Amino acid sequence: MTLSSQGIKRILTGDSALPWLAPLLAMLVVFTIYPLIYNIWLSFHEYAPFRRRLEPVGTDNWQALFSDERFWDSLSVTFTYFGVVLIIQVVLGMAIALLLDSEQKGFGVLRALLTLTLVIPPAITGMMFLLIEDPEFGVLTWLLESLGILDGTQPILATGSTALMGVMLADIWQWTPFMVLIFLAGLRSLPPEPYEAAMLDGASSWQTFRRITLPLMGKVIAVAVLIRGIDLFRIFDYMFVMTSGGPGTSTYTLSLYAWQQTFSFIKWGYGATISLVSLILILVIANLFIWVARVRW
Amino acid sequence: MSSVEYCGLSKSFGTVEVIRKLSLSVAEGEFAVLLGASGCGKTTLLRMTAGLETISEGDLLIGGRRMNDLHPRDRNIAMVFQNYALYPTMKVFDNIAFSLQINKMSPDAVRQRVEDAASILNLTEFLDRYPRELSGGQRQRVAMGRAMVRDAQLFLFDEPLSNLDAKLRAHMRVEIRQLHSRLGTTTIYVTHDQVEAMTMADKIVLMNAGRIEQVGVPDDLFDSPRTRFVADFIGTPSMNFVDGAIERDSGSLYFVAPGLRIPLAEQIAVNAAVTAGLRPTDLMIEDNGPLTGRVRLSEKTGADINLHIESECGAIIATVSRETQVGQGDTLRLGINPKKLHLFDHTRGLSLRNTRVA
Repeated sequence: MTLSSQGIKRILTGDSALPWLAPLLAMLVVFTIYPLIYNIWLSFHEYAPFRRRLEPVGTDNWQALFSDERFWDSLSVTFTYFGVVLIIQVVLGMAIALLLDSEQKGFGVLRALLTLTLVIPPAITGMMFLLIEDPEFGVLTWLLESLGILDGTQPILATGSTALMGVMLADIWQWTPFMVLIFLAGLRSLPPEPYEAAMLDGASSWQTFRRITLPLMGKVIAVAVLIRGIDLFRIFDYMFVMTSGGPGTSTYTLSLYAWQQTFSFIKWGYGATISLVSLILILVIANLFIWVARVRW
Repeated sequence: MSSVEYCGLSKSFGTVEVIRKLSLSVAEGEFAVLLGASGCGKTTLLRMTAGLETISEGDLLIGGRRMNDLHPRDRNIAMVFQNYALYPTMKVFDNIAFSLQINKMSPDAVRQRVEDAASILNLTEFLDRYPRELSGGQRQRVAMGRAMVRDAQLFLFDEPLSNLDAKLRAHMRVEIRQLHSRLGTTTIYVTHDQVEAMTMADKIVLMNAGRIEQVGVPDDLFDSPRTRFVADFIGTPSMNFVDGAIERDSGSLYFVAPGLRIPLAEQIAVNAAVTAGLRPTDLMIEDNGPLTGRVRLSEKTGADINLHIESECGAIIATVSRETQVGQGDTLRLGINPKKLHLFDHTRGLSLRNTRVA
């Protein structure tokens, strides 16, 4: 049966929103809801390599998490990475945004240049920083050794105490401009009047920033933190390219660990369980944050 | 409390000159009103005083001290903005207290001052609210409170009542005047509303196209306008203007226009091109008046009636008492008190003073 053009017209001009939502709903079901349900189902099963099939294991995977030291390690790495990088990106992003918030000539070009880092695929950025931090010819290694901060015996990415920082650098370099862009959009839409009033009230630049700009920017900052926070919590690509989680487990994040369990060790059920923990944590943290950071004015 | 002195002040935005070589002084404790139509430069002048706009040329002295290059925060000026410019993220208390807090005044002293100001302005019950939770009038009072708590040497008001309804406006006029008499702080007040200017000012500065047309006490501007612009601007309804000439007839001088002939004083030179100005309130219905006309429209304002009259020398408005029994289409004669006649040079619009009949 073919739908007559009259029929199509009737559906599209009717009151129901369903025909318009249907394509998106289909995508959502196929690519999000079904995988999520399958993932949950998978966390109660495990792949049996000899029998070549998934077998139910009850809550074994969930119980295993608690005694798995590597899981807790990866959780701690993820939280450290998430916290440090997020704070640096917010502070640095705001500082740069304030500097670039100017009508003077040339600043428009500077603002446009900022977007450049955002178009580079993260894996390529990872490769770039792998070279920058290379112990033999990396420019950063050379710089830090010249300044006497490194002594030449500790490659940045192969030393347990510095590897995570080495990876963080790539993230900060690539994604701080994203924060700058969001903050700039916020700053440039602020009303000028409170600033004039503050000037006449005798406020210094710092007092104006702290008492006027920061509260006015609350919602913008919250949105930026939320978007970046979620991204950071499921960080995978930089570690995958730069350190593969090493040395030891010092750069193993939850995502990387889930990937390893699933695809290297073929423990599909356990990998699914770890990724579900990651999802639950993101949901809890994000919603807590939204609840706490709801800026009221 | 300080005097303010503008010496040959100019301001240009690019090639557009909005203020031209303006000189003016406002005495200590005076309430000066800058009056003018939109775009006449009055707000720009105020913002230059505050330091929110740079001065292109000339000097600004406040309390005898040159202020041109001083940052706004160092000028010790309080300003009430047209849209109030309250701090949206602060409660009313902090809005008022902000200037005191950043100057490191002790919290007790701050509380005392804010509460005093709030009680004067009837804001006590709103101290814990955000600006967005207030009505226009309340926000306006918060803006005033913010200015009041400071020991500013100068108050600037930028059309602070223009967003309020008529009744509230009348009420706030009184409050601002009372505030001024209580604090005695030198005040410069910008408005386009002549009623505000007339009722509030010690001194009105009427501006037009970046220049001062006339400075004086309100009565001065109303009774002795120095230019046709001033005469036209001050007074509602506006002054009637009739083009005509001054003629000499057997030793006496007359203002002559089609259908009109009014005797004048001797002092004035015969002039072929003058404009006579007649305030609507100075015209009265008289059976043997010199001007004949037909009522086109009668407009009741409550207290009076404005008659729109089609006369031999053009459209004219006369304000008569509400008891007057005149209807649309009626023909009547209008009397003119020669003492109330204003005469202006036709080309330049300057007042030809001393033209009154003795």
